[in-house]
Amino acid sequence: MGLTAAEKILANKCGVASVVPGDVVEPDPDWIMVHDNVLMSVKLELDAAGITQLAAPGKVILVTDHEVIYGSPRAAEKGAFNRKAARAWGVEHFYDVGRGGHGHIFPIESGMVLPGMFYFDNDRHSTNAGAVGALGFRMGSEISRVLATGTNWVTVPETIRVLMRGEVKPGVYGRDIGFHIARRMRELEMEVDYRVVEYAGDLDQFDRAARTALCSSPTEMGAYGVFFPPSKAILEQARVLAKRAFTPVYPDPDARYEAQLEVDLDRLEPQIALPGAVHKAVDVSKVAGTAVDHAFIGSCGSGMYEDLQAAARVLQGRRIAPHVRMFIAPGSEESTRRMARDGLLQIFIEAGAVMLPAGCGPCNEAVTGPLHAGEVSISTAAANNPGKMGSRGAQLYLGSPATVAASALAGAITDARTFSFAPGPGDAPPQRQPRE
Amino acid sequence: MAEFAWKLEGRCHKLGHDVPHAGGVIPNWMIAGRYVDPKELIPHLFEETDPGFHERCKPGDIIVTGRNFGMGPKMNGYIAMQALGLGLVCESMPFLAYRAAIGVGLRVVTNCANVTEMCESGDELEVDFQNGFFINHTRGIRREYPGIPDKLQEIVELGGNAGWLKQWRQRKQTRAT
Repeated sequence: MGLTAAEKILANKCGVASVVPGDVVEPDPDWIMVHDNVLMSVKLELDAAGITQLAAPGKVILVTDHEVIYGSPRAAEKGAFNRKAARAWGVEHFYDVGRGGHGHIFPIESGMVLPGMFYFDNDRHSTNAGAVGALGFRMGSEISRVLATGTNWVTVPETIRVLMRGEVKPGVYGRDIGFHIARRMRELEMEVDYRVVEYAGDLDQFDRAARTALCSSPTEMGAYGVFFPPSKAILEQARVLAKRAFTPVYPDPDARYEAQLEVDLDRLEPQIALPGAVHKAVDVSKVAGTAVDHAFIGSCGSGMYEDLQAAARVLQGRRIAPHVRMFIAPGSEESTRRMARDGLLQIFIEAGAVMLPAGCGPCNEAVTGPLHAGEVSISTAAANNPGKMGSRGAQLYLGSPATVAASALAGAITDARTFSFAPGPGDAPPQRQPRE
Repeated sequence: MAEFAWKLEGRCHKLGHDVPHAGGVIPNWMIAGRYVDPKELIPHLFEETDPGFHERCKPGDIIVTGRNFGMGPKMNGYIAMQALGLGLVCESMPFLAYRAAIGVGLRVVTNCANVTEMCESGDELEVDFQNGFFINHTRGIRREYPGIPDKLQEIVELGGNAGWLKQWRQRKQTRAT
């Protein structure tokens, strides 16, 4: 019996020929990531156990992305504590305020996370590693055991195969497909909890940003990991960026999948996730015209440079509606610099958007840019459960970066295809890559 | 170290399907407030669904639940259960809920198909969490469910992740000297 990609990566990292779902294993990770929100509690827990030295400080990545601009004395205290912790542990990969950006974006953009890698993270959005054919697993507060001992136990998850067929229309993005997939999973009552979602089929049309976006919705549905077999383009990018050797992993042709979901891309329209959950997806036309007060672009689901470009193409030369406040949180500090070089920053600022530092932005419990009861938001946040961005009485819609930009301009939910736009400064090649 | 009691004998407290951790097990404000002290948590265990539970239950009692118990990777309610000496037997649990329960050292077994049909609240139960043996003395029913996997038993024996880490450090120090 063959192995799925996740089984193969886990077997590699355990030094065994194969693993099967249900096995309890202790993989040796390539990286161990901890973010600013939990670092303090993890450090205090290890200190209390008398553990002051980490098993592999060189593998540890500490990231300040959840609260980058301290909004309270408590946050400033946490920041100071985190800096001391990084020094005490001798962690070289410490990406503090203004240094890295979003922990589930910049390590992918900069080539730290490479095809075939496995890493442990305190946060569940580590699933983004799948965009480049790697695997990231959430440990929650148990990341402390990984820091102390170098690993932790994992039960090998079952894998679901999501088979993509056809070609997306122009103006339909990764997030749109993700909301649709979430809806299909819910309609089919597919068990997604603690599963790895492995994509297959017509994938060459999806660049790294689209793949990253497609890691988001399955995660919100409970998936523990997501995996894309890396395309030639992804491998090419990885080779340019890589500072170490890597070996891409692909599933065996006779791998066993617990379930399969087939997704027809040809006729898919831009999607909106209605307030409440990512699986409440409808065609944008169903809710077009709904007035919005608040717009946000960023998050682990839509924080790649290409996402910012997609939004800038819509915003270029236009101003957002006077009653809308709009926040942009790039996924990486490198993106912010590149936006300045390429002219995107100018577009966002002239459109009337507010630039936030690279990181999670309002998507982290609305420590910045929250909403009041009765207000309406459209954003690219990872999730839209009640209270996710401030008041539980706020209505949170989700869409692609292009849809959010168009809606901010119109002051109401809008299909971005209704705006005409020409390629702008710093424009990347079109989202779709030629078929191989 | 005293022999760890893998087998519990006590009364059954039966719950239904889809009991959420927040509200169903422990009030949400205790989860949001990150309460982890068992003394603070115990009086509020099942407070919203079964007031006074903590006074009626006895060490060794067993909570039996239907499918999808304790949604969310939260541990607060399991800390209270563990401190009260209770065991937990579920038809199913989201994996991260199970992981959280193991992480605080709770005697817990899951994937016990149809176990809620094998008992009613008040029945005298005996459950061996190491090997998954389930006996309902009141009704004369015996079943064999999956026990706690070998590799996780040490975590439960040591009272959860914190105890495991302490022991790990002690062993490492012993090896070093």
